[in-house]
Amino acid sequence: MAVAEERRRIGTRLVSLQVGAVIVFAALGICFWTLQIVQHSKYEEMAANNHQRTLALRAPRGVMFDRNGRVLVDNRNSFTISIVREHTKDLSRTVELLSHVAGLDPKQVKQIVDRHRGEPSYRPIVVVEDASLAQVAAITARRLDFELPDVVVEEVPTRKYPANALAAHLFGYVGEASDTQVGDGVMQGDIIGQQGIERAYNKLLMGEDGARRVVVNSTGREMRMIDEIPPTEGRRVQLTVDYDLQKAAEDGFRNAGFNGAALIMDPRNGEVLTYTSLPSYDPNDFAAGIDRVTWASLNTDKLRPLQNRVLQGRYSPGSTFKIVVATAALEEGLVTPDFKVNCPGGATFFGRYYKCHLKGGHGVVDMRHAIEKSCNVYFYTLGNMLGVDKIYKWAQKLGLAGKTGIDLPNEQESIVPNTEWKFKRSGERWYPGETISVAIGQGQVSVTPASLAVMISTVANGGTRVTPHVIKAVNDGNGWKSVPAPAVADHVAFKPETLAALRDGLWMVVNAHGTGGRGKVEGRDVSGKTGTAQVISNEGKARAKASGKDLRDHGWFVFFAPRDNPEIAGVIFGEHNEHGFLGAPIAKHVIETYFAKKEGKPLPVLQPKDGAPVSPEEDPDSPAVFDSIEVADSRSGDTVTLASR
Amino acid sequence: MFEKRLYYHIDWAMLAAILALCVIGVVQIYSATASSGQTLYVTQIYGIMLGLVAMVVCLSLDYRSLADKSLFLYLGVVGLLVFVLFFGVVRGGSRRWIDLGPLNLQPSEFAKATVALVLAKFLGDSRRGALMRGDLLIAGAITAVPFLVIVRQPDLGTAATLLPVLFAVAFVAGMPMRIFGILALVAVLAAPLAWKFALQDYQKERVSTFLDPEADAKGAGYQQLQARITTGSGGPWGKGFQNGTQGQLRFLPVAHNDFIFSVLAEEHGFAGVMVALGLYLFVILRALESARLAKDRLGAYLVVGVLASFTFQVIYNITMSAGLAPVKGLTLPLMSYGGSSMIATLAGFGLILNVRMRRFTN
Repeated sequence: MAVAEERRRIGTRLVSLQVGAVIVFAALGICFWTLQIVQHSKYEEMAANNHQRTLALRAPRGVMFDRNGRVLVDNRNSFTISIVREHTKDLSRTVELLSHVAGLDPKQVKQIVDRHRGEPSYRPIVVVEDASLAQVAAITARRLDFELPDVVVEEVPTRKYPANALAAHLFGYVGEASDTQVGDGVMQGDIIGQQGIERAYNKLLMGEDGARRVVVNSTGREMRMIDEIPPTEGRRVQLTVDYDLQKAAEDGFRNAGFNGAALIMDPRNGEVLTYTSLPSYDPNDFAAGIDRVTWASLNTDKLRPLQNRVLQGRYSPGSTFKIVVATAALEEGLVTPDFKVNCPGGATFFGRYYKCHLKGGHGVVDMRHAIEKSCNVYFYTLGNMLGVDKIYKWAQKLGLAGKTGIDLPNEQESIVPNTEWKFKRSGERWYPGETISVAIGQGQVSVTPASLAVMISTVANGGTRVTPHVIKAVNDGNGWKSVPAPAVADHVAFKPETLAALRDGLWMVVNAHGTGGRGKVEGRDVSGKTGTAQVISNEGKARAKASGKDLRDHGWFVFFAPRDNPEIAGVIFGEHNEHGFLGAPIAKHVIETYFAKKEGKPLPVLQPKDGAPVSPEEDPDSPAVFDSIEVADSRSGDTVTLASR
Repeated sequence: MFEKRLYYHIDWAMLAAILALCVIGVVQIYSATASSGQTLYVTQIYGIMLGLVAMVVCLSLDYRSLADKSLFLYLGVVGLLVFVLFFGVVRGGSRRWIDLGPLNLQPSEFAKATVALVLAKFLGDSRRGALMRGDLLIAGAITAVPFLVIVRQPDLGTAATLLPVLFAVAFVAGMPMRIFGILALVAVLAAPLAWKFALQDYQKERVSTFLDPEADAKGAGYQQLQARITTGSGGPWGKGFQNGTQGQLRFLPVAHNDFIFSVLAEEHGFAGVMVALGLYLFVILRALESARLAKDRLGAYLVVGVLASFTFQVIYNITMSAGLAPVKGLTLPLMSYGGSSMIATLAGFGLILNVRMRRFTN
């Protein structure tokens, strides 16, 4: 029965094989149950992460218009080249190939990639901003060949500013948000305003990025779109500045051949018409990420093109400060405009002799002529009568002390000293002798061009300290809504005789025998005052000569026009231009442009400057003409050197 | 040659299950490749038709007379394998194919059925009741020759499918269980030594990757992890025909070939998997039934031998498709794309049907 037994054995073993097969298949079934039912959601999510990619659609920033609706700051499309590491198998190979194809330095590319290594791998690492068309073409070709599947080329809106770096410091610039700026709606990698209007109104201008969800295959190629949230453009804003006036001011500086700052506004409401700080930078350089070389050269440039002189430069106001002293004396009722002082070429206060700039003296002058001639002795006398705290009070009322409150970032405080300020600062009491130099804008007085612009506007409009501002209207998507002017910071109604005397004096500066003759515009009754801000005392100048620094004086010209019911007022600051009256032609050009535009006449064209830059006329503001005066510090015995004006 | 009454003894149920699996395969190949403009599914249909022809041929000849000629078949296949070693077409770093113009022939696919036939014949002819040690050695040698030649191609995966043939036939032929025990013991003891001396670095990497695929998700573990994601994301009902993201977007490589079952799992979910697994299990159990019904030892051994490599490949491939086994270039019989495999598999089932069909003949 061997055969039967064998059959049985075969049968048994076959049955055991069948049982084994059932067991194995049951086990497989359990495995699939676990994967597909129990752990389904986990794997579903992993599959979604595999094939879905969210691409950010950068929102264009809001367009800026000038007060007449002319486009000032716009957007253009640029290309960025980024690496998405999500499906990268060999990152260093990608870096090598990309560098080779796009003509980049592999080391730098690697540095960029390393910097972003900690970020989620689906977020593109931008390697090239504002790529050239040749780079884009080269990359795109390789992408089609699947050679660079993890490199993406994106078209992004990028800021476009006017040529010639026009009003660069007004607009500011944009840049990638730093770590400390992230938050409050700003995400890592966002482009936000870093200076100027771009920064102050970033929230309005930024818009909202959109997103596009796409399906990608294993090589990273986009297969189809799932959905798209279109980006929302930033709010459009209308600025108070006037392109033609802005250009006139900058042309004026170019023509005059010096750097400086200008803030010209409507004294009735504080609307800024031009805003200039020179030298400047090209904000376009920042729009697509500034390269290191340009950034370094901007930062190391001795002329400091990144400094916004209008708000951040602080200088001694020089003779322009006499307007404050005159106002204070008249409004405090200490004197009338007919108050006369005899100027013999100098005067003694507190045992010291203070010189006037005119050696022979101005003779007997009243308020109007003292302003016209910028007589130091007259204002020494007023200053002595007022005391520093009254001078401070009126400097503040006119807007020369503290901040102007302009809607732009990083404004510096203007400093006008007073007894309390000095005590807080140094623990010392105020010496009356110091007031004498303050009376002619010297000593510790240190102000920004913006604050001088507010001061002259306040004088121009008769005592209302307006707040300068640069935004006129915002388009919130449902049409333009005008932005109300900021509240008036202070208001004093000047006595009529105060206003008349000031206006007469300032009018005479330009239209009679004063220093501002170069600002005269026929029929426009330009009124103004020049001033010189000494960079260093005459003695110090001799000592510091070797340093190679530019130690030439700065010049001021503050002005308004017309004399009665002024519509335009402002300040021209000439850096190291030595003479305040050299700024007057710039003001003149702007004023001419203003009225030509207002009356629909052709705009004036600035004639190229003729040879002689320095005027033959006497400059009463120039300290070079005069010796320095010494004020003894009665307590310490040290000598403080001051320049006379 | 083909008596009419034999026709009634054909296992129609198993044949239907086999054809159903073939159809599922074609549908999945279509799903995985048609969207990129390929017509691989047409080629696969040709493969199935040729396979059915081969099946009919294997069915019509009595398996006993085939077994009588098995030695020649064996020598022929070994000859082809050696020929391939020197003159074969190289693809993907290994030399496996003979270029026949429109199609490439992969002789190693045919080695499985041939070895089964030779072993069945050899052990079936054995007059002794129980299996002797000498028989086992000879059987081992019969298997070892094609095994080593295929390993040289190199194609460890296909070579490995010959081992189940040997063990299954030997098992059914009555190989003492203690020999299995000894072999298992030797394998366990040899594993660390093999790890240290025999395995290449890339092979070690595969094993360690298998143990922790996510540790190297971009490199060697990529395919295994993707296979698991593909299967798992299918869920109970699947993403729908041609709607799988993993297969369609090529996160899973060779979706129409090695990973066809993953594509099925993704697009038709657990339900589709159950249907396919059920069909495979049905085929296997039905074939083992045929072995039990076989008229002689030869028939039983032949069925078990042919079925062994089939079953091994099915189980391994499905496990791998679920991302639960190291990725190895082993196709899924009846479903994966590949003409040689299809023809050889269907020819093999021809033999199995043959045995069942002729269980009453003399």
